[in-house]
Amino acid sequence: MAADTSDQSKMQTDIEGVLQSNDSTSERVFLWVDEQLKWLLTLPAVAILFALTFYPLLRALQMSTQRFLPTGTTFVGAENFVKLLSNETFHTSLLVTGKFILLAVGIEFLLGFAIALLLNKKLKFRGLWQTLILIPMILSPTVIGLIWRLLYTPDGLLDFVAGGNVGWISEPSVALYSVILTDIWQWTPLVVLVLFAGLQSIPTHVKEAAIMDGASPFQRFRDITLPYLSSLIVLVLIIRIVDALRVFAKVYILTRGGPGDSTNVISMEMYRTAFRFSSFGEASAMAISLLVIVLALAMTFVKTANIEFSS
Amino acid sequence: MSTERSKPYREKSQLAQFREQLVETGFATVLKYAALAVFLVWTLFPVYWLVTASLKTRESLLAFPPHWIPTQLAFANYIDLFVSRPTFVQFIFNSVIITLVTTVIATLVGAFASYGFVTFEFPYNLDFHLPFYILSTRFMPPIVTIIPLFIIYRNLELVNSIHALILTYVMFNIPFAVWMMKGFFEEIPDSIVESAMIDGHTHAGAFLKIVLPLVKPGLIASAIFTMIITWNELLFAIILTHDERAMTIPVGLASFITKYSVQWVHMSVAATIALVPVLVFSFVARDQLIRGFSMGAVEK
Repeated sequence: MAADTSDQSKMQTDIEGVLQSNDSTSERVFLWVDEQLKWLLTLPAVAILFALTFYPLLRALQMSTQRFLPTGTTFVGAENFVKLLSNETFHTSLLVTGKFILLAVGIEFLLGFAIALLLNKKLKFRGLWQTLILIPMILSPTVIGLIWRLLYTPDGLLDFVAGGNVGWISEPSVALYSVILTDIWQWTPLVVLVLFAGLQSIPTHVKEAAIMDGASPFQRFRDITLPYLSSLIVLVLIIRIVDALRVFAKVYILTRGGPGDSTNVISMEMYRTAFRFSSFGEASAMAISLLVIVLALAMTFVKTANIEFSS
Repeated sequence: MSTERSKPYREKSQLAQFREQLVETGFATVLKYAALAVFLVWTLFPVYWLVTASLKTRESLLAFPPHWIPTQLAFANYIDLFVSRPTFVQFIFNSVIITLVTTVIATLVGAFASYGFVTFEFPYNLDFHLPFYILSTRFMPPIVTIIPLFIIYRNLELVNSIHALILTYVMFNIPFAVWMMKGFFEEIPDSIVESAMIDGHTHAGAFLKIVLPLVKPGLIASAIFTMIITWNELLFAIILTHDERAMTIPVGLASFITKYSVQWVHMSVAATIALVPVLVFSFVARDQLIRGFSMGAVEK
């Protein structure tokens, strides 16, 4: 009996001891967590991004100087880049991409701006309008490609509307414009929504003062609206240009880069070079060249948007 | 503003007067709604065309002149897709798993980092440079990293696994989460965390139990954005997968197009199934989506 009690009390102290030590360890853990909190919070994100962007980039740089053979890789210096200079398919793809960006982004911007101005007038059910025009942007580029392929199909709806066989995606002189039309359908809403948000932020008293001064709608547009929107305009243009530069899924579904090379945009060309012809070295050289262009654009973006990240 | 510029404002031109009269009449209103209606039809019609195509018989779908409205609703198409393409169930399953896991990880990791950068000071000005670096990855064309990533995954024997896709998509979505959450964390006053710590919470505890619940709307918004981006992605999925063990819906959709024919009925059924979730989510989080697409530049 007595042994029992002593055992029991011993057990009790043991439990208390465990509890106490547990308490202090957990407290120590909490303290450590709080001290290192900023690193614990931010390092996972930085590590994942580093492992999956910075490291592959270095590898791409290395691969661009190599030739890939079944037996292994050999260092070839700048050979892949030199090859690009005389690679006509690559030149065509740059040209096609340039044309795509110029026309698609240009029309998206003008059309989108016009519609944003319309929306900015007094309007019923504005929220509903906004939600409905958002739809093309959120659809998968794959689904969008399929929708438009259905519309472009020979003897399909658009042939019926046009009153003849246009060969929307089978005629080399037309195909790129069909891809551009699809891109305009998808991304004009983005321009509308971003510029509309900007228009909404112009203070009413500024507009009223201008009207009181007798400024014509055109003068108000030139002297008030444009300056107020300028940074958003540059921003939306750069976002669209950077995204247009990497268009892939739509082209893949609609034309696979054909007919001929007529819609062979640069990501399509890189995809073909790397994964169909297994020329990883040359494809990497293309990737590095593309990256230089994008980097220049991105720097412009950050300077323009003037974004800061501080407490 | 210079005097030269403001001068013409006072002399109202006849044209301007005419225009203002026009605005007061109903004509401008009619024009405005007509233009918007045209734009809306242009925006919505292709989607209508796909959804109705999925309900048409093969003959009706390919009829010329086209049938604007399905003559009879062939709901059997939806059953037929799964009967003739049993692997499509697996594609849907893969897409759901990949999207859910990616969304949870990317949203949390991104939100944690965002709070860290907003709240703490870092040596060497890292609290400025690191988010900037994170943002800059948003500009990198995926095709640039896909070639080395493909080689790396191949060496690690990760090609054709959903793990590789999840890892890649998490990376792609972290920048969005960091930048979308930034505004939400900045709106929370420091005093909330301070008083929670006086009440005996640790800083980490205060963040998890008090700050995170407060920014729930932001978490939901970046989660929905991540979900949509991941659900839709084709390029990585097509390169990193080669059979139904890891293929996602977009890859399955692309496979309906072969060199010789397109299986229109099955394709439109599958594409309709693929677009339903994103449509639902877009109605829930309209404003946040705009913010996400414009990389947080449009403040709400």
